[in-house]
Amino acid sequence: MARDTEVLVLGGGSTGCGIARDLAMRGLEVTLVERGNLTDGTTGRMHGLLHSGGRYAVSDQASATECIEENEILRDIAGHCVEETGGLFVQRPEDSDEYFREKLEGCRECGIPARVLSGAEAREVEPYLAEDVKRAIEVPDGAVDPFRLCVANAIGAENHGARVETHAEVIDLLREGDDIYGVEVRHESGPGKRTHATPGATEEITADYVVNATGAWAGQIGAMADLEVEVRPSKGVMTIMNVRQVDTVINRCRPKGDADIVVPHETTAILGTTDEEVSDPDDYPEEGWEVDQMIDTLSELVPILEEARTIRSFWGVRPLYEPPGTGTQDPTDITRDFFLLDHTDRDGVSGMSSIVGGKFTTYRAMAEEISDHVCEKLGVTAGCATADEPLPGSENIETLEAGMDDFGLRSPVARRSKQRLGSRASEVLETDDANPVICQCEGVTRAEIRDAVSQSGSDLNAVRIRTRASMGNCQGGFCCQNMANELHPTYDEETVRASLDELFQERWKGERHALWGEQLSQAMLNYALHATTMNRDRDPASAEAAVDFAAFDGGGR
Amino acid sequence: MSDAEQPTDDGVPGDDEFEPIQVFPEAEDMDLRPGADDCYKCSTCDTNCPVAEVDDEFPGPKFQGPEQWRLKRQDDRDIDDSVMKCSNCMRCDSACPSDVPLSQMHNTARGEYVEEQMEKFSREYVRNRILANYRRLAPLGSMFPRTTNFVMGLSATQWLGEKVLGITGEREFPEFATETFREWWTARGGAQVRNEDKRIAYFHGCYSNYNTPEVGKALVRVYEHLGYEIMVPDQHCSGTPMFANGMLEDARRSAETNVRELGAAIADGADIVASCSSCSMSLRQEYPELFDFEGTEEVAANTWDAVEYLRVHEDLEGELEGTSVGDEFENFAYHAPCHARNQGLDGQTMEVLAPIDGVEARDVGDSCSGISGTYGWKAENYETSMKIGDEMFDHMEDADAETGLTECPTCSMQMEHGTGYEITHTLEVLEAALVGTEADSQ
Amino acid sequence: MAIEDDVLVIGGGLAGATAALAAAEEDVRVRLVSYKQSTLRHASGLIDILGYTPAGEGPLVDPFDALEGLPEGHPYERVGTEAVREALEFFDDIAGDAYDGAHTDANALVPTHGGTVKPTARYPASTAAGLASDDRDTLLVGFETLPDFEAPLAAAHLEAAGAPFAARGVTVRFPGLVRDDAKVTRYAHLLDHDEAVTTAAGETTARDALAETVRGHLEDETRVGFPAILGDDHAAEVRADLGERLAVDVFEVPMGPPSLPGMRLEDLLYDALEDAGVRVTTGVPVVDYETESDGTDATGPDRIDRVIVDRHGAEVPHRADQYVLATGGLVGKGVDSERERVFEPIFDCHVPHAADRYEWFVDDVFGDQPYARFGLPVDRDLRPLDAGDEPEFRNLRAAGAVLGGYDFAAEKSGSGVSLATGYAAGQRAGREGGE
Repeated sequence: MARDTEVLVLGGGSTGCGIARDLAMRGLEVTLVERGNLTDGTTGRMHGLLHSGGRYAVSDQASATECIEENEILRDIAGHCVEETGGLFVQRPEDSDEYFREKLEGCRECGIPARVLSGAEAREVEPYLAEDVKRAIEVPDGAVDPFRLCVANAIGAENHGARVETHAEVIDLLREGDDIYGVEVRHESGPGKRTHATPGATEEITADYVVNATGAWAGQIGAMADLEVEVRPSKGVMTIMNVRQVDTVINRCRPKGDADIVVPHETTAILGTTDEEVSDPDDYPEEGWEVDQMIDTLSELVPILEEARTIRSFWGVRPLYEPPGTGTQDPTDITRDFFLLDHTDRDGVSGMSSIVGGKFTTYRAMAEEISDHVCEKLGVTAGCATADEPLPGSENIETLEAGMDDFGLRSPVARRSKQRLGSRASEVLETDDANPVICQCEGVTRAEIRDAVSQSGSDLNAVRIRTRASMGNCQGGFCCQNMANELHPTYDEETVRASLDELFQERWKGERHALWGEQLSQAMLNYALHATTMNRDRDPASAEAAVDFAAFDGGGR
Repeated sequence: MSDAEQPTDDGVPGDDEFEPIQVFPEAEDMDLRPGADDCYKCSTCDTNCPVAEVDDEFPGPKFQGPEQWRLKRQDDRDIDDSVMKCSNCMRCDSACPSDVPLSQMHNTARGEYVEEQMEKFSREYVRNRILANYRRLAPLGSMFPRTTNFVMGLSATQWLGEKVLGITGEREFPEFATETFREWWTARGGAQVRNEDKRIAYFHGCYSNYNTPEVGKALVRVYEHLGYEIMVPDQHCSGTPMFANGMLEDARRSAETNVRELGAAIADGADIVASCSSCSMSLRQEYPELFDFEGTEEVAANTWDAVEYLRVHEDLEGELEGTSVGDEFENFAYHAPCHARNQGLDGQTMEVLAPIDGVEARDVGDSCSGISGTYGWKAENYETSMKIGDEMFDHMEDADAETGLTECPTCSMQMEHGTGYEITHTLEVLEAALVGTEADSQ
Repeated sequence: MAIEDDVLVIGGGLAGATAALAAAEEDVRVRLVSYKQSTLRHASGLIDILGYTPAGEGPLVDPFDALEGLPEGHPYERVGTEAVREALEFFDDIAGDAYDGAHTDANALVPTHGGTVKPTARYPASTAAGLASDDRDTLLVGFETLPDFEAPLAAAHLEAAGAPFAARGVTVRFPGLVRDDAKVTRYAHLLDHDEAVTTAAGETTARDALAETVRGHLEDETRVGFPAILGDDHAAEVRADLGERLAVDVFEVPMGPPSLPGMRLEDLLYDALEDAGVRVTTGVPVVDYETESDGTDATGPDRIDRVIVDRHGAEVPHRADQYVLATGGLVGKGVDSERERVFEPIFDCHVPHAADRYEWFVDDVFGDQPYARFGLPVDRDLRPLDAGDEPEFRNLRAAGAVLGGYDFAAEKSGSGVSLATGYAAGQRAGREGGE
């Protein structure tokens, strides 16, 4: 029986999108399904560190070596997603000299360029470091925008003929005997680009081979076909600061610990993190003390953080895995390596492999290995090209950066827009139409919003991850409705209203964890704008009872 | 304390110091991104910007300040060139309901722009440097005031200014006094009152010294009348025109001298008073925001507006109750300078003049005069400057008055330029009320 | 020597200005000290009393009916319905022709920039022709460079809300602007001054050019709504001019922030303050206070002797007999917070709040938000109360958004509470301060 597609990839995170692109580039017919937006799982919930490998240089040298290799590849193929910030492992007076030495040696053993800076030199690099820092090791850590990277992989896959379906939740695995041949998905609004207020539908998608790349959710998918996949989801908190207090990745140079990293991320800095096993990747407590711990502990390294404004916090769930019987108690001790579970070998069920464990920095290498495995299964001989082929947006990035065209925009807005769009900048920003800034915090113009809408339908959260609009300090209070306005007239009023409500609620979700000081004032202002003047909380258009307009003042003059 | 000498520096164009050479300045390198933490995007600052209202090339203080800073990475060197359109009126500072350090952000960004991005041999740079360093030119004019006044008034000179330097030919250059304030002070033998308990050091600034010494004389007479011992320390330009032109290194040199000299006066038991609202603004707010010489904070905390000082330290209302002034003063159209407004002094003059018989003052509203120091002198800004000033001119003409009143020398130029009125300083009215208008016998 | 007055009002928004004006009626010397600019500039300029009950019933046709049912501690319950009516009359006198709505107790439904309608008791004259209960067909005009108002979407939204008229929206280019990020004050200034602009048709004036731009889009509508940028100082003239050229009624759709109608209301209040002889000091904060030290009355609350105003480091004492605190809520920074506490920064008056900050909010963004009710509890004389329900000071009253116990955003009661409590606090301070 002819199948709908050759390979069906489950999961629209970095791994899934990376696999989809790799296989599509090898000429395979690929379909990817994701239950929410791209990056909605763990990919969109990490601190954005492009590892140099330094963090694993003492504890896990295999991972460290792999990190530095992939780090260098991503700088080449994903230039528009990566910021070469550099990183420091900073030692405070109370931190161990022994560990500092081990870290330095470890870096050298793994081929990670490392240089020791005195405390004063480190403070010259990062003036907001504490005055008493002792010394630091400089490594080539970087910052990467996981949203942009993941979306670029998806676009790359689509450019090679793949079908990418977001908001398509897998509700069943299709299994006949010992063979898995596809899935049943529930489309939130029918197949294709998401459109709010459009009825959903279910669809069976059959495939020659299924790749379960759902990370922390891999166990849930496996269970649909009575397969046991022992992922051990582990949560970590990340707190986003309103501005960049540092332009270099700042790591605390001591053995594993919570709250030991600050990553400059786009316009913000992200504090991380914790490591605590949870039973359900969709339902776990998010608590204030975890946020407090980030601020209080990292203030020892960067004291200005104590009084600085945070705009939100979020939690991510690592898809940790260890082979049955290993029995590690502390999740921080579980390996960061990834595992390819071929269910034929493991469970005697053909047609599907699961991929678990691993980390964002090495997503491409993981995708390559799984793609090799799938090709072997399907008897395809084409080789992997992802280590050399730039992602869409990263082609000829150097010429772009040298380019002087500001597209009529103020220079910082032009600079940020070009960084986000990479080599697509001219295609998107060159316009004769009025191109006002829609999100002022992040400097996102109408042209960029419309480009994102053309990619992702009425889903403003998908627009958000593509553009950063509504991710700045007002957390969408001032721009959510202006983003929604751009959906009209492509989408009707009811759709626009539903989409706006969804984005506004999503922004509130993370902002709740930052509600004191300036951000509480911001929240009150946002609430007042949306409820008072716009009356969005009691919108008569959304209310059940009709308003008796004739009973109200019709004018006295 | 010698307080009667000439100003210490008589540098004129051509001095080494005036060459466009900059050593590593600190203020330009300040990381003000954390200041964006206070912004909640309400745009109140934008609605107060007199430039954005008349010129949409200027994107307003919210963009120039917290937004531009927040978008910045350490190594970025692309301050938007519109920062040069900011007139440094600083109205955004007192507008912001949330303590964003807007003018500090603008001053620093402008300094960085001039340092990193402006062509050092461009006409704009040279012109701005000259305007910013008015005080260095002034002694030259003042040496031969009549000749200078004549030459500056020639249409050929104005043409030259406009074509060669981009200084507007629409304005008349300020006249130089035949005797500077400091010359007068020396000639009268310095302080005439000695009082250990009530001592002030007068920061006269450039304009009262070279152009309107009658303001400085009025201050001396009023303060001596109230029993104060006056010191007149050595001093440089307050820095206001330098901040506005992004010449932070020039400003730093001047500030260093001022902080040292004024700090010494404070050590001698004096408080600092200034008659020019931009000078007091600079010492009080911009110095501590941009510099960290020893004593900067102390100078800032001990500096006062000259009228404000008397209000707080004397029963000024009681002193003025029942006083009157002669026919010389009747009805005033009063304009509160932006830099006075920023110090919470906008209502002060109206309140102080109320008890004096024979004076009616009418506040012409809260608009900006539009000149903002050197801003309105630039040919490219002249039209914008006059557009901003329109509202004030209209209100001045609506007020039942033929004389203008203000505390800022450049506002005063603009008021005169826009209406043809003669402009007086508040201290001159106080002098008339408290001391009488007869010339000081010295 | 302190700067002396009878009544000192701290805060220059709607509540503070109203308090100062009400106090000045009592023939005492009144000073208003305002640090930064008030939240009037964020607000729509609409004077709402009560649009919805705290339980969410509404839109209310008659706000006064519902006042009686408000819970104990609500600012309206504190001052009483009669004071709300008096305050509104007081406002009507000050506002004159600039505001409409006084002819009826019924609320008006004013279309705002998102396309919803908002219930309000008084509304700027500029919005009068746009009321949603007026059944004339409507053309809404938006501008390409003002993304806050998407006219075709707003028109569709009004229809979805069941408005009794046909609404249509068009988006045009605003003539005379060079840049896409011009501030709203630039739009207003162009029209206010009817500046010369160049269009495809040649040199013309801003108002003519705008009218010409809209004319071709007009069908048989008899009223045309624009985002609220139609002039500042000469708004009525701009509106009349456009209306005459287009032969329709022209109205504004409130936007914000920044909000021109809010700025016009602020101008109106400050003109009134000047006329009333109120002394206004702006740009400087009150940072501290001192109580009377002679202790003539050892029992009961303290009296505030003086407050300290900071002028760039110089501490200037201001003394009055009576004080009114009208410094705003979380947005105006009259109420501030840290991770562990919510507080009132000048007098450290008691602000009730849960100890755990995770109890300051609920998960639904438009749910019953505890933080929206943060503020000072007061007695019926509007004196802030301490944790033991005793007045914090004998001569301090509070008004406006610094008060707690109500959610102005959900109830649509912000302006009304500021007016009513400002009026009551100012009047009482003026009477006592004159004794």
